[in-house]
Amino acid sequence: MYQHVAYRTAYLLTGSAADAEDAAQSAFVKAWRALPRFRSGAPFRPWLLRIVANEAANRRRGSGRLAALRLRAAAAVPSGDAAPSPEGEALAGLRREELLAAVNRLGERDREIVACRFFLGLSEAETAHVLDVRRGTVKSRTARALARLREEVLE
Amino acid sequence: MSDLERALVALGGELDVPDAPDLAPRVLARIAPRPRRELRRLGLAAALVLLAALAATLAIPDARSALLRALHVGGATVELVDELPEVRADAALEPKLGLAVSLEEARAGAGFDVRTPEEEPDRVYVDNRGTVWLLYGSPERVRLLVAQTPRHTIDQALFAKKLAASGTRVEPVDVGGAAGLYLSGQPHFLVLLDELGDPVEDSARLARNVLLWDEGGVAYRLEGRFDRDRALELAASMR
Repeated sequence: MYQHVAYRTAYLLTGSAADAEDAAQSAFVKAWRALPRFRSGAPFRPWLLRIVANEAANRRRGSGRLAALRLRAAAAVPSGDAAPSPEGEALAGLRREELLAAVNRLGERDREIVACRFFLGLSEAETAHVLDVRRGTVKSRTARALARLREEVLE
Repeated sequence: MSDLERALVALGGELDVPDAPDLAPRVLARIAPRPRRELRRLGLAAALVLLAALAATLAIPDARSALLRALHVGGATVELVDELPEVRADAALEPKLGLAVSLEEARAGAGFDVRTPEEEPDRVYVDNRGTVWLLYGSPERVRLLVAQTPRHTIDQALFAKKLAASGTRVEPVDVGGAAGLYLSGQPHFLVLLDELGDPVEDSARLARNVLLWDEGGVAYRLEGRFDRDRALELAASMR
């Protein structure tokens, strides 16, 4: 369960399968060693994900780039049955691709926030803990990232 | 939530995220202690104890599989290691056991039949993993601690395993027909690591002898100053 969420987080924060695997693996090893400092009764997931996010940032800095995220093949090519209309579905697909392209163009910090808040579904408080910033910073960065996306996609 | 935020959430579900590879083997390989010569000797001694136990049980038909089952008590594997991960020795046992409740409340909320040995416990706790703890004596002077854990909470854990220090003696035992393990010897000998997380069920605090078994989907653990026969007697008395 944690293996899955750790890997997903690392992948969304690096965009690279190899970096994600490396980051998740190192994070578990570090988490293991840091266990004595884990406060019993505290939520475990944000604690682990903070270590994962840190490892992911190290990998990103190491490789010097943030790889682009992609849509699943099944999501990009809509299946016929459930689609309301081929045109509608194609347009929706286009929007998704446009939106993703805009996300991929975001700076590292903005994309991190988008990944945490919307792709991983973390709360503001969890995101603040995972990214090691204040809750107010999460709010302002989220607003900034959304404004940039809105500008790019909805213009 | 704005349309854009909703669209981002939907987009998150459609991203091509590769399936998580199985990280466990490499993580476990990296956290395994590098044995020093002295510790290796201790490990060898423990291996010999296990081998002796194995040899003894091999004489009985199906004993080998019984032993293998016994080593997986409560959905967790008992592994002998040279060094246990450091667990903060917590003087205050009570807060770690969870919420103090009455035996009736524990029974009503547990979702399984909470059993008690011989006498009623002095205190009862329920932790956030559903483990019911029966404490005999006082938190400061524990005579006997009984943990009953609905098994699924352990089974779902990624790294659930019990680590015993290499000086611990591990004996497969029969607990009323169920396969169990009796652990004795080394103090500070057993830690249950749950999904690399909260070492809830560590016995580093008490460092007593332990009887573990697994019956009807519930993992049982008795911990106290008893010998093997007394532990089995207590287990047999559980109703």
